[in-house]
Amino acid sequence: MENSATYLMYIPLFPLLGAVIIGLMHVFTCKRPIFEKFYGIIACIGPILSFVLALRVFFNLKGMPEEGRYLIQKAFTWFQVGDLDVAMGFLADPLSSLMLLFVTFIGSLIHIYSIGYMGGEKNYAKFFAYLNLFLGSMLVLVLGDSPVVMFVGWEGVGLCSYLLISFYTTETENVIAGNKAFIVNRIGDLGFVLGMSFLFWAIGAHGFDYMALKANAHHLAPGVALTVCLLLFVGATGKSAQIPLYVWLPDAMAGPTPVSALIHAATMVTAGVYMVARFSFIYAHVPVAGSIVAWVGILTALLAAIFGMFQDDIKKVLAYSTVSQLGYMFAGVGVAAYSAGIFHVFTHAFFKALLFLGAGAVIYAMHHQQNIWKMGGLKKKMPITYYTMVIGALALAGCPFFSGFFSKDEILFMALANGHWGIWLVGVAVAGMTAYYTFRMIFVVFHGEPRDQHAYDHAHEAPLVMTLPLIILAVGALFAGYLNLPAIFGGDQEVTHWLAPVVVEHHPHVSKFVELLAMCASIVAFIIGIRLAWQRFGKGAEEPTFSGFTEFAYHKFYVDELYDSVFVQPYKRIGGAIRNAIEPNVTDAPIKLVSQLYMMVGQAFKVFQVGFVRVYAIYMIVGLSVMSLILSFSLN
Amino acid sequence: MFEHTLSLMIFLPIAAGLILLLTPAGKGIARVTGIAISMAALILGVDVFTKFKPVGELQFTEFIPWFPHVGINYSLGVDGISLFILLAASVLLPLVFLLFTTKEKGYYANLLIVQGAMAGAVCAADIILFYIFWEIMLLPVFFMLGLYGGEKKIAATLKITIYTIAGSLLMLAAIIYLGVAYHSQFGEWNFAISKLTQLDLNGGVATLAFIGFMIAFAIKIPLFPFHTWLPDAYTEAPTATTFVLSAIMAKIGVYAVIRMVVPVFDEDFARFALLLSLSGVFGMMYCGIAAIAQNDIKRMFAFSSASHMGIIALGVFTCNVQGLTGSVYQIIAHATSTGVLFLFAGIIEDRMQTRKIEALGGIAYHAPVFALYFAIALLASVGLPGTSGFIGEFLIILGAVKFSPFIGILAGTTLIIGVCYMLWMFQRVFFEKDNELTVTFKDLTLKEGICFLPVVLLIIVMGLYPQPFIEKIEPAAQIQLAHLADTQHVQVADSVNAQDHGHLLELNK
Repeated sequence: MENSATYLMYIPLFPLLGAVIIGLMHVFTCKRPIFEKFYGIIACIGPILSFVLALRVFFNLKGMPEEGRYLIQKAFTWFQVGDLDVAMGFLADPLSSLMLLFVTFIGSLIHIYSIGYMGGEKNYAKFFAYLNLFLGSMLVLVLGDSPVVMFVGWEGVGLCSYLLISFYTTETENVIAGNKAFIVNRIGDLGFVLGMSFLFWAIGAHGFDYMALKANAHHLAPGVALTVCLLLFVGATGKSAQIPLYVWLPDAMAGPTPVSALIHAATMVTAGVYMVARFSFIYAHVPVAGSIVAWVGILTALLAAIFGMFQDDIKKVLAYSTVSQLGYMFAGVGVAAYSAGIFHVFTHAFFKALLFLGAGAVIYAMHHQQNIWKMGGLKKKMPITYYTMVIGALALAGCPFFSGFFSKDEILFMALANGHWGIWLVGVAVAGMTAYYTFRMIFVVFHGEPRDQHAYDHAHEAPLVMTLPLIILAVGALFAGYLNLPAIFGGDQEVTHWLAPVVVEHHPHVSKFVELLAMCASIVAFIIGIRLAWQRFGKGAEEPTFSGFTEFAYHKFYVDELYDSVFVQPYKRIGGAIRNAIEPNVTDAPIKLVSQLYMMVGQAFKVFQVGFVRVYAIYMIVGLSVMSLILSFSLN
Repeated sequence: MFEHTLSLMIFLPIAAGLILLLTPAGKGIARVTGIAISMAALILGVDVFTKFKPVGELQFTEFIPWFPHVGINYSLGVDGISLFILLAASVLLPLVFLLFTTKEKGYYANLLIVQGAMAGAVCAADIILFYIFWEIMLLPVFFMLGLYGGEKKIAATLKITIYTIAGSLLMLAAIIYLGVAYHSQFGEWNFAISKLTQLDLNGGVATLAFIGFMIAFAIKIPLFPFHTWLPDAYTEAPTATTFVLSAIMAKIGVYAVIRMVVPVFDEDFARFALLLSLSGVFGMMYCGIAAIAQNDIKRMFAFSSASHMGIIALGVFTCNVQGLTGSVYQIIAHATSTGVLFLFAGIIEDRMQTRKIEALGGIAYHAPVFALYFAIALLASVGLPGTSGFIGEFLIILGAVKFSPFIGILAGTTLIIGVCYMLWMFQRVFFEKDNELTVTFKDLTLKEGICFLPVVLLIIVMGLYPQPFIEKIEPAAQIQLAHLADTQHVQVADSVNAQDHGHLLELNK
């Protein structure tokens, strides 16, 4: 078969093998570390090999005719019960190959960066084992040819996320952040599993891989389709940190910074968007579900942007920014602009990974200080970090001709073109807020005077192994947008055309005027945002105090506290009540009753057991006379 | 290997156990005997597994007339459902003999008797024979719990005794009813399970017999609200006994439901399936939530085990092939995950002399291999894909959604409930700061590491390549369900007939 490719399974297999090898070596040598230096290098081999294979996949696909552009490998039958037939299968089509390319590329870069950042750490090897395991799982997620195989990667990345968030396990709060991420993700996974189940019973009997599902999607009853879409979206809100399950992502910043860059910005958290695009053959036919997705997305974008404006931890600013950008992506796929949403996933991976790695370099230089109000004036000390981060910030803020501008604008334009005025309006407002909080961070950290002179004196530029990935990513953040240049700039929308065979979308014809209007609005929002940030923080500023609404926003609307008192505490209290009240008193009652009944019967008979022979003689006489009476009656 | 492999698997351990009890053999001899016999059983078990053909019928059958005039015979056989319990029993028991050594001679003897009796219970193809092995299997548990248990062993033994005796009595009454019913319908005595499935049972007494059977097995599984003996018994029993109870014996309850209740009482089963599945799913949630409040690690695992058993039972009650196959798969997955977690809890108790969660912490830094093994078993227990726990759990939830979307959604919450208590426990036992107690924690010895390795590998292999197991289960599951499907067709046909009848009546008017 011309579409079969036996090398697909090696793409996830290389990093997974790396994880097993490093993991075993770590376990056996952690008491007496040897080869400590080499683990980082071994760990880079897998991702780089996968990247090479991803390139091969891409060029293979490119050489194929557009309508038959996919590669498939069914490695073996995973399990088959009744009508359910799941193969351990991998599917490379334009959508997954695009994901493959940037996941392996950015993954490799972050592995290299980590050699520098994690150097000298106690659990150096363990870190790389987890990182490789993560990348392998992510590639399974991307390549899985059925929802079930995708779910393997889906939960695998969740596990690695947990392991890496709580990487510094001696601190209780890190472990709690990890637990929170795992449990909140599991709430989403419940939606995923149920969505899969409903989908299977509706149309899965004739094959449960994406090809078969897509072919049978028209048999879905509208009600079932809506149920499936919403349940799957619950899964997406967990993994991609959307309302109401976004709460784990800011806490996830407890992990090492390369982890935040790779897992919690560039790759894993975008899995939900990828999943919606994957299932576009269902979502496209259920506009209600799409609207819900889009509104949840854009409201999350708004909420997270509000929180982002008041954070004082550099990584938390970026974390809320990620939540906010993910909201944009969902707005994109929600208004059926799947290629725009995926394109934003792609550009965001570059500039957000860049910003996180830059922030990592700053934190590294400041000896693990993360509070931006303890920094300042670092521009002189760390020029490479500064300039690359500014490029990332401009891309994030949507400065014209940077990558984020093209991808975000495409989403907002498509929302407008498809008639979602409300989403467009909120989106433009969020664009302004994005510019504001991004440059607030840049100005406070790099401009003005040092706020902590001692730390400033010891700060220094990061080593080459860390700055090189920054530079490469900065190039990506600058130019990635040109891959999907819209017609108005003389481009050809390459990415949109590339994805066209996979995602089900239609392109409305709108006048140039609307397109220009949409673009101008975004640019105005960007200028207002950056100008406000410059006025307040451009030339040095003191740590602000909050009151009223700003204090409310600083405390993130007390959502964490609300969840804690509504869900966590009652849950624990019910557990305690079962243990202390229900188990001993209610469910044990029957058995206690039985034993008490025995005692009572015994007590009752004890009365007759007096121990005098004469009393027993009376019993005998009474018994015998009763018996003879009965006998005489019955004989008559 | 031999003509009577199954008999050998049953009577070799029982005979060895009895000989140990009756002769003045010392502790050392008892242990060596235990290791040797369990190893022999392991070889026989693997032999049965590899020679087992993926068809639904009983295989390795043996038949010796016993009381032919009342239709009671010594008849054995394995199908795809009993095979896995047999395999779990033979694969896992050598671990216990190899690793837990500080007990007395009687302890080893009792373990051997339990092993043989459990094999007998799952291989019996005659319901009287099943009942006999069922009772033999329970006796040593009372002794092991009552003689070698923890502080509150007497109370725990009393509790488990009352429950199990009550269950056994009900079952015996139901069995006698089945025999009488068979005699009245077919004019001869017969207690072969395959014959009893031909019974046409309806009416109030049949339902009572059904309830009798179900209560007996619900106690053993245990299903909510018959679970209250479990936390005490599992906590107070010595490690190996808890392991046997949770990893294998509880599964025999599920097995009995599949083998006897589903085909024999097909109509009543279909009628009560919703109620039973509610009991399973509620028990899962209830015990799972209770687990989070436990501060004794073993007691937490006890509730966790009860919670999982609720889900496994649910799979049977879904009445479809995905759910049932998932249950049988989960039987062995649960044995290798939660069962092994009980052994790990035993290791912690042996080394730290405590099972209190708050007294522990930071074990991962001193015992990385142990932490890794523990984590893999834990992840299988919460059903992470790539481990054995996922396949069964996914199939059961899938089946439950088909059975009733509402039950399916409730069943899905097991994904969340499991991680809540497991992660919090793992945090407090393996992570956070170590203390003066846990700094002395010694990692697994080479012997322990090697003994647990096959089980840990089995968890991963069964997660990545389950098809060789599934293909052995599925045909048997289909056969058990065929009875139910017939019933439902008959019911549909009846209602169609009734409608036709109604039309006729109208026409007559």
